[in-house]
Amino acid sequence: MSQPGRTRNTTAIWAVVTLLLLVGIVGTLIVPLYARATPALGGFPFFYWYQLVWIPLVAILATLAYLLTRRATRPRSGQQPGAAAGPAGRGQRDEPR
Amino acid sequence: MSHVNAVSFTILIVLFLVVTAVGFAAARWRRADSMLHLDQWGLGGRGFGTFVSWFLLGGDLYTAYTFIAVPALVFGVGATGFFAVPYTIMVFPIVFVFAPRLWSVCRVHGYVTPADFVRGRYGSPGLALAIAVTGILATMPYIALQLVGIQAVLTVLGVGSNSSTFLKDLPLLIAFVVLAAYTYLSGLRAPALTAFIKDALVYIAIIVAVIYIPTRVGGWTHIFSNAGAHLATTNPKTGKPFGALVTPPAGEWAYATLALGSALALFMYPHAVTGVLATKRRDVIRRNMAILPAYSLILGLVALLGYMALASPGVVAGVKAADGNSQLAVPLLFEHMFPSWFAGIGYSAIVIGALVPAAIMSIAAANLFTRNIYRVLFNPHATPAQETRVAQLFSLIVKAGALVFVLALSKTFSINLQLLGGIWILQTFPAIVAGLYTRWFHRWALLLGWLAAMVYGTVVAYQQPVAGEPGSHFGASTANVPGLGHTAYIAVTAFVINLIVAVVLTFVFRALKLAAGTDETQPAHYTADPEDPAAPVAVPTSQAS
Repeated sequence: MSQPGRTRNTTAIWAVVTLLLLVGIVGTLIVPLYARATPALGGFPFFYWYQLVWIPLVAILATLAYLLTRRATRPRSGQQPGAAAGPAGRGQRDEPR
Repeated sequence: MSHVNAVSFTILIVLFLVVTAVGFAAARWRRADSMLHLDQWGLGGRGFGTFVSWFLLGGDLYTAYTFIAVPALVFGVGATGFFAVPYTIMVFPIVFVFAPRLWSVCRVHGYVTPADFVRGRYGSPGLALAIAVTGILATMPYIALQLVGIQAVLTVLGVGSNSSTFLKDLPLLIAFVVLAAYTYLSGLRAPALTAFIKDALVYIAIIVAVIYIPTRVGGWTHIFSNAGAHLATTNPKTGKPFGALVTPPAGEWAYATLALGSALALFMYPHAVTGVLATKRRDVIRRNMAILPAYSLILGLVALLGYMALASPGVVAGVKAADGNSQLAVPLLFEHMFPSWFAGIGYSAIVIGALVPAAIMSIAAANLFTRNIYRVLFNPHATPAQETRVAQLFSLIVKAGALVFVLALSKTFSINLQLLGGIWILQTFPAIVAGLYTRWFHRWALLLGWLAAMVYGTVVAYQQPVAGEPGSHFGASTANVPGLGHTAYIAVTAFVINLIVAVVLTFVFRALKLAAGTDETQPAHYTADPEDPAAPVAVPTSQAS
């Protein structure tokens, strides 16, 4: 029943997802990283444009994480859809446990 | 401000009427066979896809907080107010992780509120009651903040500003009664549908504002240098500078903890959970965490309206004339910069941007009251129809409660209303989020951790005076952390106390072998993705694990 290859693969994907999301949090959590006025960009002090740039960045990180989680939860090829579904239905192996 | 601008006011009235009509009509949208069920009234049928959810969550999370309170704080104290940007950045990675698990377990068991989940997970009606009461309590100041936002627009419009107190607040009361009426009738469908109008108005008003206004007040370089010069001057009320353009080292802890604490707290709010539970599939939630930051960009730009307002002498004079009420900064900026008709659009964006979340908040609080207080304490065998009627009534009561907060608390910075709510709601995080992953924590340890943190947070918040008014209360949301020597968001300090108490007492209670309570969930329920919202998956009865 168990498929070590797949499990290792899934674990690796979840590690990458966690890393992506952590980067999205730490980027603006460490205030000394960006609490200064220079270099300015288009009139914006560093403090402001640095944080604004993180908004599209976190959107990209979350998109990558989303695509990876889809990969991690896609049913194996050759498996009957719903074959592994217990009472919870499909997507049962969505996260490592 | 003595005369009413007829053009702006007319546009506001017309758009308000449109939203009202849509709010009432929403009762017929995606109509189900029986509307007298909380899944329908309180969760819109649990069937919203990515597109509707994006508008609903956006309409839910970006409120008068975004349009009035944050720019008011930036206008008043500078960089500190910008913490809302990292807050709305960090929130999405955090929620990405746990919200799908909450969605799944709630879908499998038909839970409508976070407190429903806590009751099922820990077999503890007492802990669930604590979660529910906290949710309702924390929601009221948040709704109050929406009222403050509407009030700011009405004041700038000059509606009733020179008359008696009753007449002054009459337009606000009318708007609120109308909102209450269509929320009562349509439930969550009303804000879901009106959110489309809200967001269209918001995007138009803000994009035009951030492109056009800088050209009127001398460009971005001037806006920032002018703000920096103003913030460095001495505030006569406190004898210290107003603020700074860049967070000073002494303010870094406060900045980081305000952002992190708010981010952790946001999806503990009942209205945010309601938005999550109303989605159709797990996928919809994660996909939304990737596209919701579009609103954060709007929030960041709106925050900078505070600096644009500082660069406009008319706005600065207007705020001063209104007894330093910085909540008026953005509406005044619209008045001074835009032709009347477009100012009307901007005002409508703010007013409707406050009404939509106020509706969702009152629905979420009503769900909590019905499921976790009414059902537990008054009518354990309530039918779905009875539940729905109670929720409808309570959605009216919670709005009245919000009025109390508006009247009772300082409005120097209305953001403190939301931050006070955050202090409370964050204390439900350990029970809810830890509970999504582990049953290690003992239910009574969580309850006592919550209690310790609630008492600490409330007492410390009460002790904070309004700047320049010694002896006043609830004037700030940051305080010195005992034993650390830094100033931090009280919610985060209380949260740490909460966790420490919960961990220590869990060891104690486990050693004493106190009953852990029955867990009705199973590991697979946290990752389930049932397709059909109408038919929750049958749950096999399970033993405590």
